Amino acid sequence: MKQQYKQKKPSATKKIFAVIALFFIVFCTILLAARGKFETPVANKTAMTVLSPFQNFFSWAGSQLAYLKGSFTELQYLQRQNRQLREEVKLLRAQNLTASEYASENQRLRALLGYKQVSVQFDLVAAGVIGRESVTWSSVITINRGTLDGVANNMAVVTELGLVGHVLEASANTSKVQLILDPRSSVGTLVQRPDSRVAGIVEGDMNDPNHPRMVNIPKDANVQVEDVVVTSGFGGVYPKGIVVGKIKEIHNDEGGLLKYGIIETSVNFEKLEDVAVIVASREAPPEPLPPIIQTPGTETDPQETAEQLRQAQENLQQAQEQVQIQQQQQLQEAQGNLQQTQEQIQQQLPPQDTQEHSQAEGDAQ
Amino acid sequence: MKIFVALVIIVLAMYSAQTSLLTFLDYNGVSANLMLLLIVSTALLRGHYVGVAMGFCTGILQDLTTGDFFGCATFAYMIIGLIFGKFSERVVKDQFLLPVLAAPIAAVIYFFITTGFIHMLGYPIDISKFIHTMLVPLIFYQVIFSLPVHKIVYDFDKFVHKHFE
Repeated sequence: MKQQYKQKKPSATKKIFAVIALFFIVFCTILLAARGKFETPVANKTAMTVLSPFQNFFSWAGSQLAYLKGSFTELQYLQRQNRQLREEVKLLRAQNLTASEYASENQRLRALLGYKQVSVQFDLVAAGVIGRESVTWSSVITINRGTLDGVANNMAVVTELGLVGHVLEASANTSKVQLILDPRSSVGTLVQRPDSRVAGIVEGDMNDPNHPRMVNIPKDANVQVEDVVVTSGFGGVYPKGIVVGKIKEIHNDEGGLLKYGIIETSVNFEKLEDVAVIVASREAPPEPLPPIIQTPGTETDPQETAEQLRQAQENLQQAQEQVQIQQQQQLQEAQGNLQQTQEQIQQQLPPQDTQEHSQAEGDAQ
Repeated sequence: MKIFVALVIIVLAMYSAQTSLLTFLDYNGVSANLMLLLIVSTALLRGHYVGVAMGFCTGILQDLTTGDFFGCATFAYMIIGLIFGKFSERVVKDQFLLPVLAAPIAAVIYFFITTGFIHMLGYPIDISKFIHTMLVPLIFYQVIFSLPVHKIVYDFDKFVHKHFE
């Protein structure tokens, strides 16, 4: 086999000629092909046909590799995106929680603001509950307003729903508030119902910390279940008219002469978060008069009448002002005239007379 | 005959890999030229006659399938086969660093022959831009693929030498 292979080897001279000829042919082919005079469509098709199975295989392998590479890249991208989304979810959850908290606070403060606008007789300072006493947590709370905010001891503390308690001890930035549930607390109260107006004292009950009692009610007093109890204003700590709660039950006292009512407080002390301190109070404005029942056929519009009345009052006031101005002008003119007359008289009198007159006045004195 | 068939299969496989598979790893449309590496390795191992013959065959294959200027690749490959074949007479053939060093040189020669032909045929060429966009990535790819290709050619040559020569 090796022998045959060696025998077929051409000589060196032939090889050199073959190489030179090959180079020449190829060079000429390039020039001819560039000018469009040499085309090999059959050879092209043959080469493509022979090559196509190999190219198909490698193309398939390449596409698989590209697919794997793409999948890996996509996987990495999805992993990164997933991580970012998880972070985003965490952040959004935290924001959602904060937003819910803000919404809740907003709702409470709106209610408190509404109460502040309605209660024009009170100057209120809004405060947040920042602590409760751990032992008797339902009796004393701490708020985040103190003497620097105008809060002082014995000021009443309320919410839009009703009475909370009073300031027990005010420091610079915080204050302790004794709730009306505290057994040591006592609030002078009245039954709001007009035909009752029975007075009593609301004090905390040690046995039932969530329901204070209204005590010192005479046995024959006109007090019913569901009667609304408000502060009486006696004692000077709590302004008059603040809602304390409703009478839930009425019981006879042990002595037999008095009875007491168990109060369902209007304020939910377990959910107490925002309160308002009454730093100043004044007399409540009179309540608007109830509309008069008008005779049929002679009805007038109350608003129109009020407007006409107001207009008439304004006209009257303007007329009065004009009269006053005219009177003042006339007075000024009269004074001016008088002064001129006096000056003229003084000028007409001789100087000696004047001196004598002055001397006579001095003697008389 | 068996050697010839095996050689044809190797050439076709490499050329197909070059035109199909390596295009997935291209950089700005430039990928490794395995035919060039095949010619360099063959010429280094077998001398300039075989190098020129290999250059002719692979060049014709390339010109027939993808060549824009027919004969251009054939001529360039033949020149490279001749140069490195002549050079191989003065070096130790078992040295594996040789094809790695020869690969960028062959790439530069191939680049300048083809661009020279294109320029000679009247097409305007921005040579500095071509160097940046084509030659530099080509050199990079050639260096990377030179050793695997040389290993294939070396093993095939060893096999032929052992069994048929």
